[in-house]
Amino acid sequence: MQHFVLEQALNYLITTGSINVDALSGKTVRFSLKDLPLDVNFICTNERIFVVSDLSRKSDVDIKLKSNVFFSLFKGEDLTELLRQDKIVIHGDVKTAQLLVDTLQQVDIDVEEILSQYTGDIVAHELGKIAKNVKKVALQSNNPIDAIKDGITQLLINPQKSETFKNKHR
Amino acid sequence: MEKTTHFGFKDVATEDKQSLVRGVFDSVASKYDLMNDVLSFGAHRLWKRYTIASSNVKVGDKVLDIAGGTGDLAIEFRKKVGESGQVILSDINAAMLAEGRKNLTNNGIAGVEFIQLNAEHLPFEDNSFDCVSIAFGLRNVTDKDQALREMHRILKPGGCLLILEFSKTDSELLEKFYDFYSFNIMPKLGGIIADDEDSYQYLAESIRKHPDQETLKDMVLDAGFGFCEYHNLSGGIVALHKGIKV
Repeated sequence: MQHFVLEQALNYLITTGSINVDALSGKTVRFSLKDLPLDVNFICTNERIFVVSDLSRKSDVDIKLKSNVFFSLFKGEDLTELLRQDKIVIHGDVKTAQLLVDTLQQVDIDVEEILSQYTGDIVAHELGKIAKNVKKVALQSNNPIDAIKDGITQLLINPQKSETFKNKHR
Repeated sequence: MEKTTHFGFKDVATEDKQSLVRGVFDSVASKYDLMNDVLSFGAHRLWKRYTIASSNVKVGDKVLDIAGGTGDLAIEFRKKVGESGQVILSDINAAMLAEGRKNLTNNGIAGVEFIQLNAEHLPFEDNSFDCVSIAFGLRNVTDKDQALREMHRILKPGGCLLILEFSKTDSELLEKFYDFYSFNIMPKLGGIIADDEDSYQYLAESIRKHPDQETLKDMVLDAGFGFCEYHNLSGGIVALHKGIKV
């Protein structure tokens, strides 16, 4: 579900012209977190980005890093600096990696929420997070009703991910 | 020796399946949406909305909805692609397409094209669609592998295939309830509401004969898609497979 949220956010920005992914066209970039069982793969194609967890083929760029470094990348940390400090290992074209990181840094997404699903040591406020997302997208959308309906659908389809749901059914 | 395939739990001659499935949908077409609402407690609308949201379809895209029946996906795709885009609603069954046409008109949706076709032989050029969807239709296709190869052929590189279909739940408790519901309640409701118990018995049986999540994923990859991932909905009762052509 977290991949879905990230994919929706990225493609919303592409649709609104806030980001341009032409330079990434045809590229596949994999982020592998060394300390968590989590892969995030970005498939950039046909003027959109697909975000998937399972990649059945080789990626163009492989980025290996720890979860806290992944987190800091989203917060705007400089990729070159992280490379210099050996906190990140890149196999493949560094320019492509840089382009994708630049794109991701434009997305307001709560990476702690994503990681909390895998670490289990951070309380996952999924409901609140998604609601925040829905509100934001709705405010920016030309069709706020549709945006809200999409968000509500997400909540209803996968309610077990919601802490509120869990607490109510304990 | 005659080639056979399954029609629900029965083995039938391969060439007979298409007409048998047609018989089912001819019978249920007029009550199809109502029955979906009743049998799924309205959840099919949420599953379809999730499918639309996952499609990443945007203004100007060309979309084919296969086995689109009463057109609920096509309506939403039409809104997404805008005036510059194109949506084709297709079904093998004329009665279902007629219901789709009526439904779109009632919803004030114009500009959708209607084509009666067999998913195994798609009458479109290679690399021509941004998105192909099939919701609750693949399990009724006789040669699923052939249909998947055709879907792959007509998608553009980077195009997205969406398969929304009943699948296998991994919860033992849910499975027990679901089995009881499918074989004891669903056909009865079909008899009461649509006056057709047999068609809903077939529905329950055809769901059990459909490939599970992992098998279908492998079939999508074997058809030539570079990536395929699935998401279970409602505990795996339904799964959305998403394939991307590279």
